[in-house]
Amino acid sequence: MTEDSVAELIARVAAQDRAAFRALYSATASKLLGVLLRILGTRSEAEDALQEVFTRVWLRAGRFDPEKGRGMTWLIALARNLAIDRLRARGPATTASDEGDALDAVADGAPSAEGRMIAKGEARRIAECFDTLEPDRAQAVRGAYLDGLSYLDLAERHGVPINTMRTWLRRSLLKLRECMDR
Amino acid sequence: MTVDDQPLAPRDAEDALAAEYVLGVLALPDRIVVEKRIAREPAFAARVAAWEERLADLNDGFAPVAAPDLMPRIEARLFGQARRRRPLLGWLAGALTAAAVAVAVVAVLPVARPAQVVATLGAADATLRFEARHNGAELIVTRVAGAPAPAGQVQEVWIIAPDAAPVSLGLIADAPLTVAYPDAPKGWTIAVSLEPAGGSPTGAPTGPVLAAGTIEGV
Repeated sequence: MTEDSVAELIARVAAQDRAAFRALYSATASKLLGVLLRILGTRSEAEDALQEVFTRVWLRAGRFDPEKGRGMTWLIALARNLAIDRLRARGPATTASDEGDALDAVADGAPSAEGRMIAKGEARRIAECFDTLEPDRAQAVRGAYLDGLSYLDLAERHGVPINTMRTWLRRSLLKLRECMDR
Repeated sequence: MTVDDQPLAPRDAEDALAAEYVLGVLALPDRIVVEKRIAREPAFAARVAAWEERLADLNDGFAPVAAPDLMPRIEARLFGQARRRRPLLGWLAGALTAAAVAVAVVAVLPVARPAQVVATLGAADATLRFEARHNGAELIVTRVAGAPAPAGQVQEVWIIAPDAAPVSLGLIADAPLTVAYPDAPKGWTIAVSLEPAGGSPTGAPTGPVLAAGTIEGV
């Protein structure tokens, strides 16, 4: 990344620059709302979480290190972590996968992650590495990442005991790491 | 029986835990334990960051969703309500969204000019039409043809910057809607939608657009 305008804005936010804070919101709120809506499933919860995300961005911007990653990656990680914490706090009864129309609309509107990555060209690596995994395990990794599925959800979905799912997934993740770090 | 049954090496177990956290599959108590380790152990935090980067390409799978401008609420939460400074400068820098201008401009006292029509909403022969005027300090939206919304519904006025989410200017009943606004930005859209009583519950238009028009140069 030669140019990371989001990272530059985060650095200015760390210096208490409120204009940069607003510019960062304008530049990234739609993507982050997409993340939150996909995982949390309802618009009202997603918008509430978006406010919390930007509150945390203001308070934690100083911890962002552009040497260690891209600005957008940091923001999405922050949003995903908040959404998943809230989802887990809700308990196993309602996961995003149980929810209705809002989620479907988001999921249907988006080309699959793989399709988009291939279209993009530059991100072929993770797609290639997913090919080294068994298809159902690759699907479990993607489902967890994009939809916020827990081990419990994944075990139910794939019809295996939770410990089996955990063993599968941990092995798959390490295989993914081996492929990507090659 | 298979390699799956063998325990992981300690370094791999650490890395797998970091990956499980990033992936989000852990139960809440486990996540809280991991979050504490991230805060205290730089080496473990580095493993987590490495996984965030490895999996970041999956972020393309998240489709953007037009976001309402929640900055006024976020700023009120962080900075309190008193913060209303330098709105024009910020707007000219292109950094502010429409709502930020609408909220921030309250303290500005420019010289009022006679209000000029800056946009017409609805075709000349439409049964429901609105006009937007600007007087140098305020935007005034008036219904010039048609009736208010039926009982239980309202007409809500929105301003839309290019490529941005609509921002509510307020509800319009019988009287014109007057909103403090520093400028009438050419090319922005003003629209009226039909919403449930009290206005859109989501902060974004939910009902049909009744009329819309583009702000033209004065």
